[in-house]
Amino acid sequence: MESATNHQAQAPPVHGEVSTLPVDSTPTIPAPSRSTVGWFPVLTIEHRVLAGFSLVFVGILIISAISYRNTNGLLKNSGLDGRSHALIQLLGSIDAVMAEAEGTHRRYLVTGEQAYLDAYKQLIAQKPAFTTYLNELTRDSDEQQRRVDDLNRLMERQLSVESKAITQVQERGVQSVRKMALEGAGRHELDGIHQIIHEMDVYERQAVNRRVFASAASTRHTILLLSVGAGLQLVLLASVYYLIRHDITERRRVAGELRRRGELLEAANKELEAFSYSVSHDLRAPLRHIDGYAALLRKTVDRSLNEKGVRYLQTISDAAKQMGQLIDDLLVFSRMGRQDMLRTTVNMDQLIKSILSDLSPDLHGRQISWTIAPLPEVKGDPSMLRQVFMNLLANAVKFTSTKPVASIEIGVESSGSEEIVLYVRDNGVGFDMQYAPKLFGVFQRLHRADEFEGTGIGLANVRRIVHRHGGRTWADGVPDKGATFHVALPREGSKHDARQADCAR
Amino acid sequence: MTLAKPIVLAEDNPRDAELALAAMEEEQISDKVVLCQDGAEVLDYLYCRGQFKTRLKGNPAVVFLDLKMPKVNGLEVLRTIKADTNLRAIPVVMLTSSREERDLAESYTLGANAYVVKPVEFEQFVSAVKELGVFWGVINEPPPERACSHQ
Repeated sequence: MESATNHQAQAPPVHGEVSTLPVDSTPTIPAPSRSTVGWFPVLTIEHRVLAGFSLVFVGILIISAISYRNTNGLLKNSGLDGRSHALIQLLGSIDAVMAEAEGTHRRYLVTGEQAYLDAYKQLIAQKPAFTTYLNELTRDSDEQQRRVDDLNRLMERQLSVESKAITQVQERGVQSVRKMALEGAGRHELDGIHQIIHEMDVYERQAVNRRVFASAASTRHTILLLSVGAGLQLVLLASVYYLIRHDITERRRVAGELRRRGELLEAANKELEAFSYSVSHDLRAPLRHIDGYAALLRKTVDRSLNEKGVRYLQTISDAAKQMGQLIDDLLVFSRMGRQDMLRTTVNMDQLIKSILSDLSPDLHGRQISWTIAPLPEVKGDPSMLRQVFMNLLANAVKFTSTKPVASIEIGVESSGSEEIVLYVRDNGVGFDMQYAPKLFGVFQRLHRADEFEGTGIGLANVRRIVHRHGGRTWADGVPDKGATFHVALPREGSKHDARQADCAR
Repeated sequence: MTLAKPIVLAEDNPRDAELALAAMEEEQISDKVVLCQDGAEVLDYLYCRGQFKTRLKGNPAVVFLDLKMPKVNGLEVLRTIKADTNLRAIPVVMLTSSREERDLAESYTLGANAYVVKPVEFEQFVSAVKELGVFWGVINEPPPERACSHQ
């Protein structure tokens, strides 16, 4: 019972929230010097669950980071692809426009018609825009940039050759450029332009292909990683689930076990009650008969009985009475453990006064000097506390009977804030401190029965009652000098019936 | 001592019965004692049936009841007496070895008129039984006579 209570008390509050993980997850990483087998079992279930959730959380972080990076890469590639396609389209346009410009220019050279010149000028007006776009679309690649420079140079050259030819036509007429018109003024440059555009086109298409492959591979990796990660998370979560389930099952089992033991305890208690009832009822009858028939016998044979016979009969009677007393005391002791406790304020001054008046028949012929200090009020069961001080005072009276003048003192020690310590001191026969632990045991006696009468249960009762009040008892003694018995009672009264604590002792 | 009505003593233990009778003998009231060895006999007596079919009609002066008895125990006899309008007035004294609180409580709840724990010491036992016998059988005025009409 006690160990089970401790077990429950040790269990820390559950705090397995994922949000607290980064701080608390340290126990999951074992110190390198520790053996990997040794550390795991010492972790509590809460730490294990926490560790499991930490790992899941860290796994989710890693997978998210990798996914983010890969998606970013894919987005970037798709942006690059867009530019590549735009570039390829632009190159096609430039190629076409420059070819058409050359053709229109040639027609102008041949015919000298203004319409062709206008068309030509319209075509070459796009050139600055082309240059801007080209620079824009190729700024990521030095190699393409270099080609763009070459292309620009060739286009400039084509345009300047053609522009010279136009000037010649306007100054000297169509005839002067006939030969040039047949060959085409910028024909040579246009071939170069075709060549470079073709190179750029091929280069860009290759780049696109490369990126497509890279993206596909990266996507495959990401999917693989996500699958593996998800698998690991599942395994981890399953382990955590298993741990929690195992723990819950275990707790349920322990709770069931506790309930079962409680029932057993209750049954045992009932049995004990039946036992004590039986003792009370059945054990007393034969004793009554022994004493009764001894008395009847004495009456019947009164005259013919010699002194020895009278003594024998007296011994039979005395033994029966003593056993009757023992049974009564035992029953009181057992009842003190079971009886319901009251909790009221007890006026100790009055309690002691009433005990002393009860004791007065035993005090005839005795010289006793009483010292009774003003006593505080205590919290507890009046009849039980009466039993305690009745026993202590009766003991004090009994064990001072060998002294010509007995001195008995009842007082209160400088009590702390937690408890009130009362004591009963006498100058009687005292006891050797080495027997102090035995004093409060059931049927423990430090004196022979013919020295002092008694059943040896009074102090056991004192201790049981004081324990039930949540208090303590102890005693000091010096042989032939006296003894002091202390009773410490909690100031506030015990919060609960300390019966179980008493059973555990 | 003059004793008009009988005293019913329910005691299953012959030794206890003998000791009780020995005690009452000192007061010369033992001849008025009707000894019943179990609860059933007590009820037979009260209802004038069985071996008591032919007895003189009338309720006893008092019934001394042991708690633990064969067949019908003391509390059951007490319950029957106090539930019967013709018997209810009979004084019932529990005379038992039990000091248990619940026996005490239950006896009084059921209407016992007294509860006496048999002392172990013979002298005390004798004086207790004598006093009880004298008080309930002689000193105490019994309830008005009622014929054993219910049989």
